[in-house]
Amino acid sequence: MENKEKKLGYMAAWKLNLRAWGIWQKLCPQVFASTLLASVVTAVTPYVTIFLSARIIDELSGERRPDQLLRWVVLTLACTAACALLQGVLTRWANYARDCAGQLGDQLYMDKMMALDYADVDRQAVFDLYSQIRQNESWAGWGIRNTISYFESFVTAVVQILGGAGLSVSLFLSPVSAGSGLPFLNHPLCAAAMICLLLLAAVVSPMLSNRGDQYWVSYAEEARLGNRLFSFYGFLSQDKSRAADIRIYQQQENICGPYLAQENGFSPSSSIARCARGPMGLLNALSQCVTVVLTGLVYVFVCLKAWAGAFGVGSVTQYVGAITQLFRGLSALLETMGNIRANGTFLETNFEYLDIPNRMYQGSLTTEKRADRKYEVEFRDVSFRYPDTDQWALRHVSIRFRVGSRLAVVGRNGSGKTTFIKLLCRLYDPTEGEILLNGIDIRKYRYDDYMRIFSVVFQDFRLLALPLGENVAGAAEYDRARAEKCLKDAGFGGRLSSMPQGLDTWLYKDLTEDGVDISGGEAQKIAIARALYKDAPFLILDEPTAALDPVAEAEIYAKLNDIVEDRTAVYISHRLSSCKFCDEIAVFEDGRIVQQGSHEALLAEEGGAYATLWHAQAQYYNE
Amino acid sequence: MEEKKKSPYNMWQNTGFMLSAAWRSCPSVIFLCIALAVVTAGQTVAELLIAPAVLSRVEEAAPLASLLLTIAGFTLLLLLLSGLKRYLDTNTLFGRIKVRTDLLGRINLKLAQTSYPNLMDARFNDLSGKSFDACCSNNSAAEHIWTTWSTILTNLLGFAVYLAILSGLHPLLFCVIAVTAAAGYFVDKKISGWGYRHREEAARPIKEMGYIRRTATSRPYAKDIRMFGLGPWINDVWRKSMSLFRAFLRRRESVYLWINLTDLLLTLIRNGAAYAYLLWLTLTGGMSAAEFLLYFTAASGFTQWVTGILDMFNQLHRESLDISTVREYLEYPEPFRFEDGEPLPKDLAVPCEIKLENVSFRYPKAEKDTLQHINLTIHPGEKLAIVGLNGAGKTTLVRLVCGFLDPTEGRVLLNGEDIRRYDRRAYYALFSAVFQDFSVLEASVAENVAQRVEGIDVDRVMACLDQAGLTEKVESLPKGVDTAIGRQVFEDGVELSGGQTQRLMLARALYKDGPILVLDEPTAALDPIAEEDIYRKYSGMTQGKTSLFISHRLASTRFCDRILFLEQGRIAEEGTHNELLARGGGYAKLFDVQSQYYREGGEHHGE
Repeated sequence: MENKEKKLGYMAAWKLNLRAWGIWQKLCPQVFASTLLASVVTAVTPYVTIFLSARIIDELSGERRPDQLLRWVVLTLACTAACALLQGVLTRWANYARDCAGQLGDQLYMDKMMALDYADVDRQAVFDLYSQIRQNESWAGWGIRNTISYFESFVTAVVQILGGAGLSVSLFLSPVSAGSGLPFLNHPLCAAAMICLLLLAAVVSPMLSNRGDQYWVSYAEEARLGNRLFSFYGFLSQDKSRAADIRIYQQQENICGPYLAQENGFSPSSSIARCARGPMGLLNALSQCVTVVLTGLVYVFVCLKAWAGAFGVGSVTQYVGAITQLFRGLSALLETMGNIRANGTFLETNFEYLDIPNRMYQGSLTTEKRADRKYEVEFRDVSFRYPDTDQWALRHVSIRFRVGSRLAVVGRNGSGKTTFIKLLCRLYDPTEGEILLNGIDIRKYRYDDYMRIFSVVFQDFRLLALPLGENVAGAAEYDRARAEKCLKDAGFGGRLSSMPQGLDTWLYKDLTEDGVDISGGEAQKIAIARALYKDAPFLILDEPTAALDPVAEAEIYAKLNDIVEDRTAVYISHRLSSCKFCDEIAVFEDGRIVQQGSHEALLAEEGGAYATLWHAQAQYYNE
Repeated sequence: MEEKKKSPYNMWQNTGFMLSAAWRSCPSVIFLCIALAVVTAGQTVAELLIAPAVLSRVEEAAPLASLLLTIAGFTLLLLLLSGLKRYLDTNTLFGRIKVRTDLLGRINLKLAQTSYPNLMDARFNDLSGKSFDACCSNNSAAEHIWTTWSTILTNLLGFAVYLAILSGLHPLLFCVIAVTAAAGYFVDKKISGWGYRHREEAARPIKEMGYIRRTATSRPYAKDIRMFGLGPWINDVWRKSMSLFRAFLRRRESVYLWINLTDLLLTLIRNGAAYAYLLWLTLTGGMSAAEFLLYFTAASGFTQWVTGILDMFNQLHRESLDISTVREYLEYPEPFRFEDGEPLPKDLAVPCEIKLENVSFRYPKAEKDTLQHINLTIHPGEKLAIVGLNGAGKTTLVRLVCGFLDPTEGRVLLNGEDIRRYDRRAYYALFSAVFQDFSVLEASVAENVAQRVEGIDVDRVMACLDQAGLTEKVESLPKGVDTAIGRQVFEDGVELSGGQTQRLMLARALYKDGPILVLDEPTAALDPIAEEDIYRKYSGMTQGKTSLFISHRLASTRFCDRILFLEQGRIAEEGTHNELLARGGGYAKLFDVQSQYYREGGEHHGE
């Protein structure tokens, strides 16, 4: 079984497996209690039947006393019924617990993903790790999910072995009569040889089948690209937003088809199918054959002893039955061990993700609640590089936000505007330099406290397919009047009053047929309302009007001024029209602030970056 | 809502359909299915016989050789059968997957090619969703039907053999067995139906939890979750759904417990009857212990065949309904002409003229027309702009011109001929388009531009990328034009920004080089300088083509030959930019709103 491939040892895999059991114990303790009891009863039941029917056969092949027969039959019927009753109740309970656990397992990943540093969420490696976990799970439950069933099969196997051993001990102990002509059966070596054969077969059979299954495990890597291709191209035509392009560019015929055709995944011509026809299929068949040979040998041994008079016919059925079950238990145990080991590799992936540390330093200072909203933020010579890149996204940026002022951040795509906002909101920490809040490095504040002073509408903001009001408040319980006011302030009032269920209207149709579809512009207004509801001292709007048409845009701009009130506001836009009513404009170019000042001052700098941007747009409006 | 529609195809017809699908894709599936059934039944029968056969040898104290020979014979038989079964089991999967994915390919092609209005047809969408469901996994009807059929065959064979064994016994016992088996089956079915009847109760929380999980773990939501502290809310929603789901499971399991209880009772009756009758036979008729064992095992095993047959035919019936849906979907009528339409004239005059003659359009189930009485001629080589507010009907107009929709009233003419007579796919070939929804494919840059996998003209790809202003970006990519875009499929893919994606879509339209160019808001994600750059290049791109340019940014359309101003589904004004301004109508008003911030000396809203 020792493979040359890199594979986890039994010990290491067991450790991981125990850790996974620990996790389940915390998430869903019922799963263990119910599975334990259900498995024990399930494993014991067959032995009850085997033992009692053997007694009936014994009696039948012996004296055939009617009263004894009656006793055994009644006992058999009663015991099997009792077992079935117990088994029914317990498996129902176990089913319940396991189905709950199936859902509860997702909580692990949700909690982790929401707790990660944003910098890690943004890292492709982390994301690939997570999607690998999802793929492993959906492929065959590999990872933490499977460990519950390992517990079940482990317990069942152990009880099977114990029960089988208990019922077959007397087989080896009962001697054959001296005159039978087969005295060698009494020799301890003979029993020992039988036991050895049994153990050998129990080891060899699952070994062969594990060896066969190994082809699947090693194919997983190979099949991954195929699976990914299939999950994208296999269902592309279902995406309604692609329907027009699919037709105009004949994508199904020219791209999806060929891509799917080149990837044969699990078709009869794939390498895994060839394995199945060859070594994998043969190994599996052989594993089965070993079991059958063993059954044959057991029959020979048991029958020889019976034939030589060691015990009656009934006991033959008992021993054959018990040893067959015992053998099943042994194979199952080994198979489970093999599975636990194979699963170790997958568990490593699970834990690698779950163990990602939070590296971002978090201080303990609280941002005192200031009624006057006097929060002064300053960037001091801040430079920033995204992890794993060598290009500076921001370089030597120094800027101070005046309390209560409106700052516009403009610049071409990729000039660092959005990065600037990400640093301000502490989604990332600066590579060099520092950001100060009221003169203290922001890292020294509690993270959630610092977050409290910002309301942001990101360019790629997201709303959830849940009720409108909850979206605005970001909570299930909220102040309805305030939510309504914020929506009205954001210009959503008209649409809101046309919604029969008002704040309780579900957004989108993901979760309910009654949900409403909202346009990009409406979504943006809701996002603005959400930012207003939070009522933070800083209001940041990244491209606030990209999805709005001119009339709506003008409306929002006219309103923003009133909405913002005494907050400090930051607008990012490449539509410069939004800058004119800002107190100050910062122009970004290649990660630096190249110009800073009021609209008039910047426009006056002929040939400056701002003037160039301005004229590129304004020319269409000026004759 | 539940439409009690009789399925047009029965179980046998659908089995026939699958057989012919298998025959085309992978005939071995059929043979494996039959072989597996025979071997499985054989194995079960051999396992039934071995114990009584051996036991009778011991009981009779037969010669040792005869005992050993019996054991050896059965062992050999079992060896062959169970080895073969395991081998076949290992091999059935692949052919079945092939048959299923080939069928999925047909479903995909239908959806990709179907007349566009079908996509707005609820019944079509319903059928399409169900067809995908019927083919999407190993347990879906289109693959599982093989397992169902081989199990049916196994059960029928087993049934026949056991029937033969039991035929010597009293018919009454036989009746008891058959009746308890059937009763067990029907009770089970009735009770398990609970899950189906209450499926909505479970579906809702599961759907919600799935949605919450996807949301909480998806990257685009991460920023908002952190900034707005959405974690507690998300967990609240999830926990609420979970407790609903728990309650459902609790009820379900306590109802299903009745299955176990009835089964217990029926088994008790059956075994009791069997014991009583067989013991009576042994005590009065001198039946041997081995025979007793054989009959008793056969009697309790017989149930399994009866239930198996009933169960599997029921399963087959359900799967047959799914397959019926697939067939209905594949045969769904097409309002447009494709292969049966005329090809476009070979001597098609380029650039083309497109004419809308008194066109009105109303979406299905809508209360009013989206477009009303549009009369419009797009002259050969003309650069036409369509502007208007959101909801004015711009996109619908484009869909009509491109042949995605047919007018409810009036006609769309290509060089004077109604487009309905042509093969619609040939008509689509005339258009190069950038629509509002991007459809970037998880494929290389070159494949995205050329929109094909084979026969890509790399020089032309480069030229188009250059024209769209992407050369620099593409050169900076690790593998140049061969770099994959997106990470869903290729792990070394790159993500493009919104602006870059828009340029890529433009390059794609240029590569196709169709005689009619349609650009629907092509500059929304670009910065001012990039936007200007695109506008300047626009004249070059439209050389020798008829072109249509849609925007809600009025300024951007000034370089067009003619501007249509759409308002509430009508062409409210048309003319050049200056003409429209001079007119002082809706267009001029809208322009005023947009330009006020740009005009020198405009009102300053700052303080």
